Amino acid sequence: MALAAAILARDRKATARLVELHSDVVHRYVWRRLTPKVAMVDDIVQDVFVAAWRSLKSYAGQAPLETWILGIARNKVEDHYRRTLSQPLAELESAAKEVPAVELGMEDHLDGERQAARAAQVLAELPYEYAIALRWRYWEGRSARDVAAASGRTEKAVERLLARARARFKEYWLRLEPAEGRE
Amino acid sequence: MDELIRKAEAVSGPKASSRLKSRIFSKLVELEQAEGPLRILSGSRNAGEQLCIFEHAVALLPSDGLQSKNPCAVCHARVLGESVENAPIFWPGCAYSRYCGH
Repeated sequence: MALAAAILARDRKATARLVELHSDVVHRYVWRRLTPKVAMVDDIVQDVFVAAWRSLKSYAGQAPLETWILGIARNKVEDHYRRTLSQPLAELESAAKEVPAVELGMEDHLDGERQAARAAQVLAELPYEYAIALRWRYWEGRSARDVAAASGRTEKAVERLLARARARFKEYWLRLEPAEGRE
Repeated sequence: MDELIRKAEAVSGPKASSRLKSRIFSKLVELEQAEGPLRILSGSRNAGEQLCIFEHAVALLPSDGLQSKNPCAVCHARVLGESVENAPIFWPGCAYSRYCGH
């Protein structure tokens, strides 16, 4: 609360500390959620800090300042997801029809860390809208109904999008497996 | 598969660049100035904040009006910090220098 109070008193040195203390965490958070379109990350991170500064008066100190700022970052990322998924996805959906129905199991020998790294790699290589749909659903814990309401699509359309995204994820995951098996 | 997708969230990303930190700081101070005078530098110093050599000089001035100005706006450290990654800025107490890891 002391840092927030000093910033509200327009203490520039406190403001400098705010950036120093929290920008790395916010950057990592946004970067993970926008990969591979990382060109937008810096602008969104700056928007997060500007929004945090503008609404600092409402910070009551119930949660750590970093948690509060990450909440703002989450809203900014979801704004970006909403804008992206509000666009027509016709080209993406016709491409998705080519995806074969892969029903192979995905349990494997990788330890948790390597699984996470490979899953992150797959998400980074997926068509961006698919990656966003999966992150929004599984990382942010939003239901298909929530995503539909936010993006202006029908719930059915979002469920179809998620189904295609999962099929692609599985396909890409399995495509990476032979290369790793040769190690 | 849902669990695999969730696991990817744990993979860390890169830290913010020193240029980005510099730009954010400059932007926030600009917003603070637009809202009213900045806290006088001697006030910041008395609150335990570290000042750079230029700010120390400004903090000696008797005028609150001058002390609440932003000398960083005309400082080469700001320009360097915003445009060069890990710029060679070595002023103790300078925010831009700290963002560059010095």
